[in-house]
Amino acid sequence: MNMELLIWHDGSNWVVKNERLTLSAPTLEELDVEVERFLRGSGMLREGETAEVFMTFDNSTIPQWIRQYAQHYFNRVLEVRG
Amino acid sequence: MADLSNRRWYSGMLTQEDWWAVWLGVGFFFISLFNLAGVDLVGWITYPTKWVLYPPEGGKGAVSHAFYALGKKYSVTAKGFYKGLGWWSVLWTYVVFTIATCIGAAFMRWNLKRFFTGWTIIYFLTIATWFVGHHAFIAANKINMKQYGLNFALSLGGGGSFILALIVGLIIGNFFKPFANYLSEAAKPEWYIKTAIVTLGVKLGYLPIKLSGFSHKLGKEAASLTFDLFVAGAAATIVAYLIFWPGVYVISRKLFKLPRKTAAVLGSGISICGVSAAVATGGAVRAKPVVSIMVSALVVVWAVIELVILPGFFTHVWPGTNDPLVAGAAMGMSVKTDGADAAAGELMDEFMRNKIESETDGAVIWPSGIITASAVMTKVWIDMFIGIWAFVLALVWVYKFERRAGEKVPVSEVWHRFPKFVIGYFFCWFFLLALYFGPGQSGAVEAMPFLKSVKAGAVPIEKGMRKLFFMLTFLSLGIITDFKKLKEAQFGKMVWVYFVALFFFIIPVAIVIAYLFHHGMQIPNIAGFVQ
Repeated sequence: MNMELLIWHDGSNWVVKNERLTLSAPTLEELDVEVERFLRGSGMLREGETAEVFMTFDNSTIPQWIRQYAQHYFNRVLEVRG
Repeated sequence: MADLSNRRWYSGMLTQEDWWAVWLGVGFFFISLFNLAGVDLVGWITYPTKWVLYPPEGGKGAVSHAFYALGKKYSVTAKGFYKGLGWWSVLWTYVVFTIATCIGAAFMRWNLKRFFTGWTIIYFLTIATWFVGHHAFIAANKINMKQYGLNFALSLGGGGSFILALIVGLIIGNFFKPFANYLSEAAKPEWYIKTAIVTLGVKLGYLPIKLSGFSHKLGKEAASLTFDLFVAGAAATIVAYLIFWPGVYVISRKLFKLPRKTAAVLGSGISICGVSAAVATGGAVRAKPVVSIMVSALVVVWAVIELVILPGFFTHVWPGTNDPLVAGAAMGMSVKTDGADAAAGELMDEFMRNKIESETDGAVIWPSGIITASAVMTKVWIDMFIGIWAFVLALVWVYKFERRAGEKVPVSEVWHRFPKFVIGYFFCWFFLLALYFGPGQSGAVEAMPFLKSVKAGAVPIEKGMRKLFFMLTFLSLGIITDFKKLKEAQFGKMVWVYFVALFFFIIPVAIVIAYLFHHGMQIPNIAGFVQ
């Protein structure tokens, strides 16, 4: 299965969000654990299956004056095995 | 509202400045090609000329002719019409570029009302400084000052206007901050300079066409020189990368004891390409965005300091007019934002050309834009490598330093970080080269009517539009540069890392590398043809 999330940093936590979930954690490692926990807990990921989670960075959280110099922070892909 | 402009490979095409630089530059370039069908749609673009309040009898410089439509000189089909525009060309240019930039601003979801008023103020301030900067006392040199009834002139060429625009911008940015803040919606130096760089592609492609009008041999020399710059720029950039980044990283870590992620972001910001590299590296090493933002603020201010110091230093101290293309390439590797670099290159182009003409009593005259091109060429290569470098860093960070189970680095990151305006720059350059080598028959006499039509379209773009967008860049750079930011306590060590790395490592190494790859390259002398 594939899932898309929006990711940004709110000043103290990394946050991911889509229409079904909002998760946050102080580090990316902890955030990934939260995402894994959600996938397993919600039943979206069954044993033996692999989920690919694509995280698109929300550029609107970068100050506008910087966006004229650089228009991309990062996108991440996380693979979670069930 | 979330901004997902990098979700897919194509999703930012109508919402990012980088792409809008391509649409503006390439769009007007295509409009200029209507000249091949006998319709001149770009001859209205305005351009200043030197003036004095009281021109001598039989001399030059009437204020009434201080601005003219370029079609007056270069149009093949509508010279008479454009001749009548005079100062009105300033308004024509305002109306057309206002419509074009406002369309871009609307697609980019900016505050259109604020952009429109900000753009209008910035445009007319630009015209005012362009006008003042072309007073013959500032712009003329000892070869032509007598024509304006002067016994002394500053010999700054068009460079005087650039300096004035920067000063006016800096005064607004540092002493009238609420006004600067109001203008910020339209003070977009990177958008303007990227558009100017696309039109510089027109300049590069047009250069062989222009010089073949003087002589077949000169045209071929110009084509060959631009290829040499292309290759030497790439080689110099690769060498610079291999030396700069590790050097600054080591300075940050060992000398100033900065944390690893901060050192990496700062290393890229100082050594590669300023803000874009700092942001790319911050993303690659998964740093909190605030680290990149702090480094970026530093980069912007330091780049303007370099813009003020380096053109004069390279022109009058070393390497001077002996090696102008070494100076240009070194500039491209030293100044860390596209805007400040291209602006510094253009300023140095003016300084060097006026210096050589004065030094040789007019025996040597260089065509404009080649020194700028050498400064921009290394920068363009650096820009293109940012994506690859950031991708490599991301691989190292994600798979080695901070290994996280399951995380992959998407290859699409390289594309998202690719500077799209470069596509427009190379497109215009190679398109015109194809016309030169193809139907233009490499400047053969029988192809001259065709090449003259190309010229009628190309000149308003590569001369009028390019210089106007350079002027807008200088003014906007000043407006958004607040020197107080350097004083802000939280930068602390970073300011000093930047100072030490830039002046004691980056600039000296850039000069050596530029010398190794560009020493001996000669700019064609057109003195025998233009006088």
